[in-house]
Amino acid sequence: MPSSLAIDGSSLTLHDVVDVARSHREVILADSARAAMQRSYAWVQKAAQDDQPVYGVNTGFGSLARVRIDPAHSSLLSLNLIRSHAAGVGAILPVPETRAMMLLRANALAKGVSGCRPLIVDTILAMLNAGVTPMVPSQGSCGSSGDLAPLAHLGLVLAEGDHGRVRVGDQELSAAEGMKRARIPRLHLEAKDGLAITNGAQLTTAIGALALHDAICLVEAAELAAAMSIEALRGASRAFNASVHQLRPYPGAIATAANLRRLMAGSALIDSLPEKLQDAYSLRCTPQVVGACRDAIRYAVQQIAVELNAATDNPLIILDEDDENKAYSAGMFHGEPVGIPLDVLKIAIAEVANLSERRLYRLTTGSLSQRLPPGLASKDRPQMGMMVPQTTAAALVSENKALGWPASMDSIPTCEDQEDHVAMSTTAARRAATVVANSRRVIAIELLGAVRALQYRLQHEPGIRLGQGTQEGVKRASSVLQNLGPDRTPSEEIEALADWVESGGHCEAISGLERLA
Amino acid sequence: MTVEITGSDLTCEDLHSVAHGSSVALSECARSRMQSNVESMPEGPSILEEKRHWLVGGFAAEMSPEELCRTFIIGHCAGVGPRLPDALVRATMVARANVLATGTTGCRPVAAEVLLDMLNAEVTPVVPSQGSVGAAGDLAPLAHIARVACGYTERPAGVRDYTPNSKEALALINGVSMTAALGAVAVVRVRRVLDAAIAAAAMTMEAVGAGAGCIDARVLEARNHPGGIEVASRLRDWLHGSTQVTPDRGANAFSIRATPAVMGTLVEELCCTETILERELNGAGDNPLLIDGEWLEGGNFHGAPIAQAIDAVKVALAQLATVSERRTFRLTYGQLSKGLPSFLVRGTGLNSGFMLTQYTAASLASECKGLAHPASVDTIPTVQHHEDHVSMGPIAARMLLEMVECVADIVGIELLLAAQALDLRSRGIAFDADGNPVHAEPVPLAPKIADLHRRIRAVIPYWEDDEVLHPCLKQAGELVRTGRILGVERPW
Repeated sequence: MPSSLAIDGSSLTLHDVVDVARSHREVILADSARAAMQRSYAWVQKAAQDDQPVYGVNTGFGSLARVRIDPAHSSLLSLNLIRSHAAGVGAILPVPETRAMMLLRANALAKGVSGCRPLIVDTILAMLNAGVTPMVPSQGSCGSSGDLAPLAHLGLVLAEGDHGRVRVGDQELSAAEGMKRARIPRLHLEAKDGLAITNGAQLTTAIGALALHDAICLVEAAELAAAMSIEALRGASRAFNASVHQLRPYPGAIATAANLRRLMAGSALIDSLPEKLQDAYSLRCTPQVVGACRDAIRYAVQQIAVELNAATDNPLIILDEDDENKAYSAGMFHGEPVGIPLDVLKIAIAEVANLSERRLYRLTTGSLSQRLPPGLASKDRPQMGMMVPQTTAAALVSENKALGWPASMDSIPTCEDQEDHVAMSTTAARRAATVVANSRRVIAIELLGAVRALQYRLQHEPGIRLGQGTQEGVKRASSVLQNLGPDRTPSEEIEALADWVESGGHCEAISGLERLA
Repeated sequence: MTVEITGSDLTCEDLHSVAHGSSVALSECARSRMQSNVESMPEGPSILEEKRHWLVGGFAAEMSPEELCRTFIIGHCAGVGPRLPDALVRATMVARANVLATGTTGCRPVAAEVLLDMLNAEVTPVVPSQGSVGAAGDLAPLAHIARVACGYTERPAGVRDYTPNSKEALALINGVSMTAALGAVAVVRVRRVLDAAIAAAAMTMEAVGAGAGCIDARVLEARNHPGGIEVASRLRDWLHGSTQVTPDRGANAFSIRATPAVMGTLVEELCCTETILERELNGAGDNPLLIDGEWLEGGNFHGAPIAQAIDAVKVALAQLATVSERRTFRLTYGQLSKGLPSFLVRGTGLNSGFMLTQYTAASLASECKGLAHPASVDTIPTVQHHEDHVSMGPIAARMLLEMVECVADIVGIELLLAAQALDLRSRGIAFDADGNPVHAEPVPLAPKIADLHRRIRAVIPYWEDDEVLHPCLKQAGELVRTGRILGVERPW
């Protein structure tokens, strides 16, 4: 684990998010960020007392912006915002997604344009470092104006009072008790703090960032699985020729074709059937399909990278502007810039899985598999025939299709028609994460089938050479399976390989490939 | 309570009750029917041996019958993903036992009894929820159950020793019992949400003062959709004695005026789907069947009949979700709610009141639109061209279960808001545009609306100023899920 991470609102990476969310890397607020935060805080404190209306500082929220609030009540205004916006429902979010959301909110505030004290960020980071995780319901956000409800559940823990719940280790505690045990003082909210805590699509981005990381891992595993299947099916390599792909130069396809060539290099099975001029699409078009997914993922990576370091608050306090009113009301909280790429990610990953399932079908279908045993059954472990896992893969890819409806395409007017177009980006992110999890299992099933198929080839054609990368893939994946013991079910095998892919085990196996991020 | 398993009269409600802990017993009649079915079995090679080629690729000849069964069941344990909740595993077990109890599958009574033992001893196998395409049956999930029933894991206390014969190993997994069970549990839940939604709509109508024409029996009968007629009749019942819902009030927005039309579709879909599911629960969902002493190969394992019926409920339920959300929108919208304050709280701006409840309802309604997309239109060829058209029914059923959770919360939100609105009306609390209190005449509530209001207030307080919203939403959702809003208390 790298040393502690200093956040400053402008340099957070996808890997940082994964490290903090899943591996509990320590986080601190960069000293360089404190001064700007302090300046914008001072401006808001002054504005709260002034006559000039500033949204959410001395006015109500949403359509209630028409109502002026007495400066004496600015603290209560913030607290009321948190309490009345804690409107989440459904299952509690997993800890990593919640931690990622906290980190992203802290980083957005660290930009120093939200008018809040460094203490708020310090408190969020202290919770991350102490492993105090707010219990945040996963449903109920429209992703505009930000993930209000989920972030308000974080706010219930930050703000002093008899509200909020946290998880600490295995325990579920009241926020008061959890924070006391971790010796983290809770906050007395001030003007605009309520908005600063809640106004942005950080849950969308948190779930999306983790799903994106997993998707990148998955695509790299899918290329390994594809190379192994193509090899097992005695495929032809000409479809992956570099010159061919320069003639339709999509960067993703070029990269996938290069990876396939490298993985298969030196294989005696590839191009071993000279009479076969071309393979079925699920083999031959792997660069076109997986490559298109790579290109889609690159778009998602680019969008998420912006959002990780974005100011998403409303209003933003921009002190460099000449205007006397430094508070700029805009729509930076709107989840659309991340919602659309996450819907695209979902489609892309579903296609990676669709293609994988069809290769698996060929591996398990006697008439299509260049004389592999039907169902990939073998004498030593007959019950491990692969027909039922192929059915499992079909069920998973079909579920992806049923979840394929793009969430970000929908919108329902809210807040007395003031917030009359919303992103539904949080739903997009959650669905993308489900499709990634389903698809990872599909790839795991293909790996399982390809390992069995290549083992069969090695057994029946002793001394045969596998590709440089595929050989290593077979070795590593086999050892994952061997650890399971003799009486294992296909279910256990699939889950073990899916975990292996999730942890990036396959990436360590093969070096020199074109990486996605 | 004990549910008798007859193979002929298992209802969705029975199945729901077993899911939540009722015990079960095989009826004498079913036992003897199973017994005589087995005795009618023709001489000849075991039916499972004939299937060995697609099963284990020709290695079956070298195995003992016991090994073959074990191989078959364990080889089908290929489910993945999150664990199916225990109640749904129990529902699946009783559904499968009832199929065997039809006495058409060539199974000994003991094959059903071992499943019933597990239910009575509360032995609930771990079943991964994903991996079935719903044809040839819910093979993977049922195999995870059969693995425990056949003692291939450690035999649990209270469950008899049981070794399946070849046909039984097949019959334990070869039908869409999980899809049917999940669908049946979902139907019970959807019906409960529908009942609460009609009550919520009545409360909203009372709160905003609706024109009674839209629930007039003559209007609905003139169009003659039974669902609409029923919803209108139930709304009239709730609103009996109302001074607010009267014929002289003008036409309302569609979310109020067309409530019988929109929610009536669900009444009809539910009725239709429940009938189809109950046929499946009591049907011979297996292959091959032993009828008149003859083995007959058919396609009774295919989930198509129920998959599509389940998808149809999803579409109708999405309509209920979206129309309830629109009523919630009106209740929070100062200009549309006929004198109620914005967000149903005194309009100081210092309070946001129930503003966010409508966002939550909108988010959930949008999720429902996505989940309503039909699973059963898809099919993917499986098993070497052999099972080349499948139903995807289990995916439809799981999506419906996910949807009904969303809709329970949407309806809970409407109840929560309508109760607040009725408080304001019945206490004569109103505000001018600046949030200053103004005089309003207190409005008496219709007697049954007052009952509903009381049940909500027993667990959720009236809001004068902003409070933490989440506990109220949780309670509101529970009122719907338990049926407490209608004065009953049942497991979900």
